[in-house]
Amino acid sequence: MADLVDSDSRSMVLLTRFGIDLGFGDKTIEQICKEKQIKKDFFLLLLNVFLNPDYFPNKKLKNIDVNLLLTYLANSHRYYMEVKIPLLRELLQSFLPGMHHPVKVTLEAFFDGYIQEVTEHIEYEEQVVFPYVSILLSPQMGKVPDKEFQEYGIRIFEKRHTDIEEKLSDLKNLMIKYLPPSETDRFLRIRIICELLDLEQDLVNHARLEDQILIPIVEQLEQRVKR
Amino acid sequence: MALNGLIADHSEIIRKGLRAVVEECNIFETIREAGCATALKDYIRKYQPDVLLVNPTMLSESMIQQIKESTENKKTQLVAVVYSLHDEESLKIFDEIILINETKTKISRKLTALIKSKNFTGEVDDNVLTVRELDVLKLLIKGYSNKEISSRLFISTHTVISHRKNITQKLNIRSAAGLTVYAILHGHMSLEDLA
Repeated sequence: MADLVDSDSRSMVLLTRFGIDLGFGDKTIEQICKEKQIKKDFFLLLLNVFLNPDYFPNKKLKNIDVNLLLTYLANSHRYYMEVKIPLLRELLQSFLPGMHHPVKVTLEAFFDGYIQEVTEHIEYEEQVVFPYVSILLSPQMGKVPDKEFQEYGIRIFEKRHTDIEEKLSDLKNLMIKYLPPSETDRFLRIRIICELLDLEQDLVNHARLEDQILIPIVEQLEQRVKR
Repeated sequence: MALNGLIADHSEIIRKGLRAVVEECNIFETIREAGCATALKDYIRKYQPDVLLVNPTMLSESMIQQIKESTENKKTQLVAVVYSLHDEESLKIFDEIILINETKTKISRKLTALIKSKNFTGEVDDNVLTVRELDVLKLLIKGYSNKEISSRLFISTHTVISHRKNITQKLNIRSAAGLTVYAILHGHMSLEDLA
């Protein structure tokens, strides 16, 4: 496990979402998974998605435990909302006073708008999509054919799956290219850009998990259950 | 960005052969052929090709002048297709030279490099917005739809869309909120304008 973190530091974020904390000594991935009661295959699958942008688990889709996937996605959401976004906000708060008033106002509005969008997206997933998938998974579902449930479909989610990465990339480009140079804020600015890049990459992976793994699995479930 | 290419040569065999090779390079969306100087002149005016692959003997001094004028702000890249002896001096006006016996890979590499080096075309040569694009940007920020913008500026919605495309391509900013910050930063707008 230590070798893994050493070879690619991005895996640290992944560990937190599985409840694995650093300080594991020389234990192997297998040992830790056993200890934490994590399915090793699932862990490795997500690791691959996370570290390898071209990875697509065609054959393994059937074996994925959807409940685990939902938990993982919810954990990621918590990480964005509770760690990443507050951190970015804090960094921006110390960065903004150096800006001209009008720039400050619009940048602030821009960032608030972005947080709003992310929050809405996450709430929609957690309050509509995830419960819907849970119902699909539960065996008693067939007894009460809820009309609303019958008419909803993961396709709707797919259509609604807005691109929350767009604004993030805009913010990054503004920071890199367009905000005027300033000596005093030089390092703060670099930190913000690094954070933005990191979050951007994380969100790309997150969206891939949802689009390429969650949605196809749920589509299969829908066909089975709704027939 | 959809690039269009024009191949000009008297010989149909050369045109068709070159076309086959160039098509495999997947660089151009459309490729047209001109078999004589008149057609060449005509096509340059009509289609303003991004890249002109031409037999140097087909280009007279006046024709080169015409290319420069008729393609306005959009610069056409000139590529000489060479299979006979030419004065070295006369080839200097070309941006690239393709020899008829070169491999497909080499031709593809040359064309790709040519397009990259020139940052596609004059349209997005430098990332400064044109006056018209700025007009569109300002209305966009105020939340106007494509249709509203088109009627306010007396241009077609199609033109509005292409302006919008150019704006995002030049600035690499896609959201209206991000464009607002850009416009404020560059003094194109003030906070009062937004109210």
